[in-house]
Amino acid sequence: MAKMEQELLELHTLTNKKEKRIKKSTYFYNRMFQLFCLLSVVILGLALLSIIFFVGRTGLLVFIDVSFQEFFFSTLWEPYDEKFGAATFILGTLALTGLTLLFAAPISIGVAIFTAEIAPDWLKRIVRPVLDLLVGIPSIVYGYLGLTILIPFLRNITGATMGDGLLAASIVLNIMVLPTISRISDDAISSVPMELREASYALGSTRMQTIIKVILPAASPGLFTAVILGMARSIGETMAVVMVIGNTPQLPSNLLTPTAVLTSNIVNQIIDVEFDSTWNYALYMMAFLLLLISNLLIIIIRKLRVKGA
Amino acid sequence: MNIIKRVAILTLSLIVAVSFAFSGVASAATKGKIVVAGSTALLPLTQQAAKEFKKLNPKVSVSVSGSSSIAGPQSVTKGAATIGAVDWDATTDVPGFKAFSGLKAHKIAVIPFATIIHKENPVKNLTTKQLQDIYAGKIKNWKEVGGKDAAIVVVNRKHGSGTRVNYQMKALNGAAFMTKGDNYKEVGKSGEMVTGVDSNPNAIGYVDLAYVKGNIKAVDINGVAATTNNVINGTYKVWSYGYLVTKGEPKGADAEFIKYIQSSKFQNGSLTKLKFIPIAKMK
Repeated sequence: MAKMEQELLELHTLTNKKEKRIKKSTYFYNRMFQLFCLLSVVILGLALLSIIFFVGRTGLLVFIDVSFQEFFFSTLWEPYDEKFGAATFILGTLALTGLTLLFAAPISIGVAIFTAEIAPDWLKRIVRPVLDLLVGIPSIVYGYLGLTILIPFLRNITGATMGDGLLAASIVLNIMVLPTISRISDDAISSVPMELREASYALGSTRMQTIIKVILPAASPGLFTAVILGMARSIGETMAVVMVIGNTPQLPSNLLTPTAVLTSNIVNQIIDVEFDSTWNYALYMMAFLLLLISNLLIIIIRKLRVKGA
Repeated sequence: MNIIKRVAILTLSLIVAVSFAFSGVASAATKGKIVVAGSTALLPLTQQAAKEFKKLNPKVSVSVSGSSSIAGPQSVTKGAATIGAVDWDATTDVPGFKAFSGLKAHKIAVIPFATIIHKENPVKNLTTKQLQDIYAGKIKNWKEVGGKDAAIVVVNRKHGSGTRVNYQMKALNGAAFMTKGDNYKEVGKSGEMVTGVDSNPNAIGYVDLAYVKGNIKAVDINGVAATTNNVINGTYKVWSYGYLVTKGEPKGADAEFIKYIQSSKFQNGSLTKLKFIPIAKMK
């Protein structure tokens, strides 16, 4: 008996020791993981800050040689003749984004209403994964399809000389941002509580009335977020745009005239300019402008989130 | 105790590994890293050369990229590339670009340039004067040069392209390009120029002969066809030497690579097959 007791006691102290060791190591691992996460956040923050700082500082150097007025209000971009007017690109970017949203927002919210409210379940199960797949297609593929299929098509139906320009670029961008906007809108509409729909139907409204007067207002913060995210994507989009916009630094007289936007001009010229030249600084300033615009959009999203919650 | 021991072993093994790696690089001459950047006109050539060179020297890594000629000498000066490909001698001044100092240029090929239009376009020949007027925006319709009644779409390469520099000097005799207009567009690379003309039956552009295939055809200039033979016999004037530039004298793998491209085996083999012309053939 005594022997057995002793054995049991030994076993007990043994497990106790083991437990203690496990506790100690768990604490150690948790601590390390916490440190790892903290470090990741700090590195990310520093990287972002230094990007903003570096791009901004390099960009602002352009104003040593070029006046503020010339850069923002002149449309004459002839860098090899020391003319750095970026107004064409700024206006082009704003026009292109506006035009894209004009088409993309109503269509993609329509798609979202369809997938969330109207489509039967089996169709939803097809449409949603297809939209997710479309988000993943690299933009250069869209650009190439635009160049080889869309532009000849536009030329044929409009009789334009070239077909390159804002219309082609905005159609390509539309196809790119449509899945993004409609999937996020879809989520926003789907998360509107069932009680609201039931209450609306109980009051005798039709499905149309329920959607327009109840569901859309309730989902509106989510819809705004979706549209602004789509806008941010279309503002920063480069590879697809550069292939279909024509890359001619001029104010377009119509939607089918070749022109250029901030992104397309930067990507076309940045590899070819000398490192410490005004031309290089001007391109950095244009990049900084893009950064500011997209940051502004993110701030707007945050504000909308706060209001929606 | 345990942790200290482990750390010590780890550091030791790291030191050994690193020193091994370094001694390895120093001992063998046919190891190393070659980075080629620059001209897209020379890209078919440098890519083919890299493929063959890697087969002969499996321990050398060769990466080849193309954006435009000016990026060649610039990235060599900056240290981003070890070899720059450029369609003009970057150690001398050319219109629009100053000479780069501290570089050494190596002649590697003769590049014939062709004026290109779509296969459906009936125009066969253009004179220098007609080309000058088309690129200046004075001739706006194919009708005026013997083609269909359709507006001419001018596709130009962006500033910094060596093909553009050479085309302007030799096909347009230095006349200026237009830079704006409803029928004018700029593209970045030789490949994009081909797509631009390929997808528009009324477009005109220019590219080196290696790229002429598919739906595009080369136009005769002043009655002379753009062929390698006409370049060699001196009747076709729109061509230039292609150069590789290095920072000072090339060393190690870089020197080997340039020597390989200049070897008669490559010059008379792959280079000729790609519609470039061996430098030895020009007098």
